[in-house]
Amino acid sequence: MTGSLLSFLARRTMAALVLVVVVSTSAYVIARLAPGDETTADFVAGVDAETIAIKRERLGLDDPLPVQVGRWFAGLIRLDLGESSYFQRPVSALVVERGINTAQLAATALVLATLIGVPIGVFTGAYPRHIVSRMVVPLSLALVACPPLVAALGLMLFAVSTGALSIAPGAVVLPAIALGLPVAAILERLQSQATADAMLAPDLVAAAARGIPPSRLVWRHAARQSLRPVLGVYGIVVGSLFSGSLAVELVTSWPGLGRLLYDAVLASDVTLVAGCAVAGAVCLAVGNLLTDVLRVMVDPRAAESN
Amino acid sequence: MPSSRLVRLALVGLLLAVVGWIGWSAWSGGTTQDSGDAADARTSGGRLKATYQTEPTNFLRLVAPTAANQMVSLLTQSTLVRLNAAGELEPRLASTWTSSEDGLTWTMTLRPGAKFSDGSPVTTADVAFSVRAALADKAGSAAAGDLRVGGQPVTVQALDDARFTLTFPSPHGAGIAILESLPILPRHKLEAALDAGNLAAVWVPSVAPSDVVGAGPFMLKDYVPGQRLVFDRNPHFYGRDDAGVALPYLDGIDMTIVPEYNTELLRLQAGETDVITDRLLADDLAVMRQSEAAGRVQLTDAGPTLDVWTLWFNLKPGVTSAEGRPWLVAPEFRRAISHAINRQTIVDTVYLGQAIPAYGPVTPGHGAWYVPTLPITEFDQGRARTLLTSIGLTDRDGDGVLDDESGKPVRFSIITRSGQPDREKTITVVQEQLRQVGIAVDLVPLAAPEIPSRYAAGEFDAIYFGARQTSREPGAGFWRSSGPFHFWNPGQLTPATPWEERIDMLFQQQAATMNPAERHRIFAEAQQILAEQLPALWLVAPRVIVPVSRRVRGATPIVLFPPVLWNAERLSLVDGGR
Amino acid sequence: MQRLAWAIVGLMTCGALAAPGISPHAPHEQFSDRSYAPPTRVHLRHGDTWHAPFVYRQVLVDRVNRQFADDTSHRVPLRWFRGGTLVSVNAEDGPLLWLGADGLGRDVWSRLWHGARLSLGVAFAGAIGALLVGTLLGAMAGAARGLTDTGITAVADFVVVLPAVYLVLVLRSAMPLVLDTPVIFLVLTLLFALAGWPHVARGVRAIVATERQRDYAEAARAAGAGRLRLLGHLVPASYGFLRTELVLLVPALLVAESTISFLGLGFPEPVPSWGLMLRAASSVSAMQTAPWMLSPAVFLFVGVLALQQLAGGAGVDTATPRR
Repeated sequence: MTGSLLSFLARRTMAALVLVVVVSTSAYVIARLAPGDETTADFVAGVDAETIAIKRERLGLDDPLPVQVGRWFAGLIRLDLGESSYFQRPVSALVVERGINTAQLAATALVLATLIGVPIGVFTGAYPRHIVSRMVVPLSLALVACPPLVAALGLMLFAVSTGALSIAPGAVVLPAIALGLPVAAILERLQSQATADAMLAPDLVAAAARGIPPSRLVWRHAARQSLRPVLGVYGIVVGSLFSGSLAVELVTSWPGLGRLLYDAVLASDVTLVAGCAVAGAVCLAVGNLLTDVLRVMVDPRAAESN
Repeated sequence: MPSSRLVRLALVGLLLAVVGWIGWSAWSGGTTQDSGDAADARTSGGRLKATYQTEPTNFLRLVAPTAANQMVSLLTQSTLVRLNAAGELEPRLASTWTSSEDGLTWTMTLRPGAKFSDGSPVTTADVAFSVRAALADKAGSAAAGDLRVGGQPVTVQALDDARFTLTFPSPHGAGIAILESLPILPRHKLEAALDAGNLAAVWVPSVAPSDVVGAGPFMLKDYVPGQRLVFDRNPHFYGRDDAGVALPYLDGIDMTIVPEYNTELLRLQAGETDVITDRLLADDLAVMRQSEAAGRVQLTDAGPTLDVWTLWFNLKPGVTSAEGRPWLVAPEFRRAISHAINRQTIVDTVYLGQAIPAYGPVTPGHGAWYVPTLPITEFDQGRARTLLTSIGLTDRDGDGVLDDESGKPVRFSIITRSGQPDREKTITVVQEQLRQVGIAVDLVPLAAPEIPSRYAAGEFDAIYFGARQTSREPGAGFWRSSGPFHFWNPGQLTPATPWEERIDMLFQQQAATMNPAERHRIFAEAQQILAEQLPALWLVAPRVIVPVSRRVRGATPIVLFPPVLWNAERLSLVDGGR
Repeated sequence: MQRLAWAIVGLMTCGALAAPGISPHAPHEQFSDRSYAPPTRVHLRHGDTWHAPFVYRQVLVDRVNRQFADDTSHRVPLRWFRGGTLVSVNAEDGPLLWLGADGLGRDVWSRLWHGARLSLGVAFAGAIGALLVGTLLGAMAGAARGLTDTGITAVADFVVVLPAVYLVLVLRSAMPLVLDTPVIFLVLTLLFALAGWPHVARGVRAIVATERQRDYAEAARAAGAGRLRLLGHLVPASYGFLRTELVLLVPALLVAESTISFLGLGFPEPVPSWGLMLRAASSVSAMQTAPWMLSPAVFLFVGVLALQQLAGGAGVDTATPRR
């Protein structure tokens, strides 16, 4: 048992490492190819050419692209992600710091979204004509259709005018709701569809004919079957939540990874962009791992070849 | 894939841990708890709540002159002199000064008893060090430019601990006002780094706050990256008000990093902040007026801004984009466009009346530099069409768009920066107005990082852009043909046209003249030439309207940045903030 | 319910296609003294008398506080089928603003319907593209397993994590400064398809992998069905998932359109676009004092509701025991 667990973890970790390396290196290359670099802001501010030239020399910006990529890659191997030219701090320190903030928010939002979205989705999928379903589905669609910026601002407006939620800088409840509710809606929709499909499966129809009580049908059998497609996208959902959501972080001023990437793009801080890509890849890998484990827990009969 | 009970147990344990962590953090308000709650109730000052949109990257503004660093420097450091709201020099660390007959040598006396925040006295050695630091090669040339006259640096000579002389290499009209941007830095903290050549690494954001020493009204107490800056009053600050009460009135400033302007407004409305980063957009005045009527905020109109966004054309000689379209660089074309634009419509529609039309880069906000009698291009569609016809542009095929002599339609593109709603709206109005005289305009909004490369490569027809003015004085970067902000043809080694040459000469003259009235007259002539030649177009100067909460007393918002915190030592709170 | 949904979708499509016919004004026309004007109200009573539906002219009272009043001194009757449009009024009696005006005094109703063509069109096209690519790749991964599966999953993960912002910036810098609307439409569709397929592929892969183990699939394989034939058997199981994904993708891509326009690759002014309209409406003052600017979001919601109704199917209730 433990042996296969270890080998499974080892394979997963290898895959994750490969993903991290490939993604971050590609992000570095693309960011270098994009217009602008770390001296662009100086150029706009009117700094003279010699100072800019000195800075370019120090950062090695005029070296050919393969040389720069190689230098960055060598740093990656040593776990040294370089220094952010905008923040003047090591990238790894920045990413870890912001990553912890994001993790706190994302974990809260994820639990909220899963605990709300999945069970409700099972219900609306199994009993679509129920009065509760008829009320919940439009609400869910409203959350799906609403642009995230509008939703976040709207929630803030609501918090300010009613005073029900705190908009103080450290409060996690408001951002978690702003982040979690739309995800809950997505999970609800997917789960609902999958449950509706599962209810039509021949073995379930047969079971119903055999007289098995409907609630057990729904919550034991259909739910299990239907979790698979949801789990399929769950990894991406987890990954993107933990990489930070820009709209929510901007509006609620939550210092997370989403804002970090945004600042990096505006400052043309290529090293930081690549560092954020590393963080994003790690988050996705963690999300995939979590999903795989959940899949096994939920459906032990699943014989995944991976 | 092993389906072991071990995995299940591990997962359950992990889930419990996660839920526990979330519960704890939600209950305790998160790890980002605001530490400013325990305000000291004994003193009468109170703490100001502020929000700021960007983060400081270095507490030494000299090495990285960003807006956030400038703001921190303003609060924690002090200069020798300062220009007040009326534009007059007032003493700061320097208490008195006299000038020699020829105005080249100034003898200045430091305020007796002035100290840094760690108790050490401010001496002329610190002044000399600060000048040396500003002029050092690697310290960044923005500050150095202020201290150079005609390419030569000013020199500082200490006479004793409290008196020193400042010598200009040649006559300089601005005089000691150039010291306004020079913070006097603590030599004992920074000299070693300057000598070692790594000044930029001393006051990085991770430095211990107590190491950030300065003679300003506040000192840095805490910095949590991404979240907040905490300032406490500097007990050694030299400032006193007219009654002799020690400044600053405030006990401290709690500044939260809030990157989104709309969130700042919400916090202001909710009473969670007293001061926001910058000015209001005209669109938000209606909402803020409601808050004003409800007694929560006070709005102040500080007058027209100094930053007039410029619409300039690519006039670099030999540029490829004008090939096949010679009319694009013809002066009549630009003049016609200026006549075709109804600036009052822009004022009314985009800024809801809270702006004034601008025909040049100098506005009433620049004070005495403004010349109201310059020739302007009135809104006159007929005149615009006549000018266009005079360079051969008429509608030859009746499609509503003018064509040149070879039959090609008159069409050009304007690049603008996305993310600035009022500027984007302004240029959309311009597009519509030009359509009415038959000129087709393609608007190209680009994100900020994309514009400099297109600009540097010269691949554009026209750009609508603006830079933040940091002083009321005319800026050499724009007016001189060799300057980097000489937008239409930047960084020329020699002026491309006779009138640019004349402006160069005039600018030199006014910089070297000592008599203010004479300087204004000379500069007025330079503005006249610009208004006649129209290398670029200026459209509107929005009014600067600044909100503060009702709690704040003593705020005098100005058009420069930062509008409220520039004299933070004079701010106080109603009832001491209780 | 079903019929109502079809009616809504039909109305919205017709409205988008016939936008000039139902808009009293052109979408780019900027009316002076009408910035943030509220919607024009239709009245039936003037004083004590009843009339055919009419409106009053709007008068600007306070520009900066955005206050308007109705000039109740004379009625402005609505004209039908004049000037190539359904409903309009005389030009001097002021613009007819069914959904108010935006910050530049432009008719929001007109911009909504003209913008629907491009914005909804590109969101749909991108969604369909994402569904096609995602289904193909996801099904291949789920059915083939082994190296194909690993490879496709890895590529999907790669696409998800790559900072899309920089890809767009690089793309934009390589393209000419001025872009035509059809070119932008094509590029946006491709970008959306590229951004959306991993989500779809993941779900389809999971479904197909499950289906593959079912008896009928094993039987088909034993009978020697070719790979494509096998896929043909397995993919239909994911139709429900795909229908839901369509409903999820369209609004997400519409929002992406506004982000991409910030990066310089959007439909340029004065072409109306829902993404730009929503971005302009995402401010405290718009939401508090000019809520009509959020109408694209409301229309999007209604459209998504209708789409869900049509795509989701009636949903057979098998939980109730049958006889």
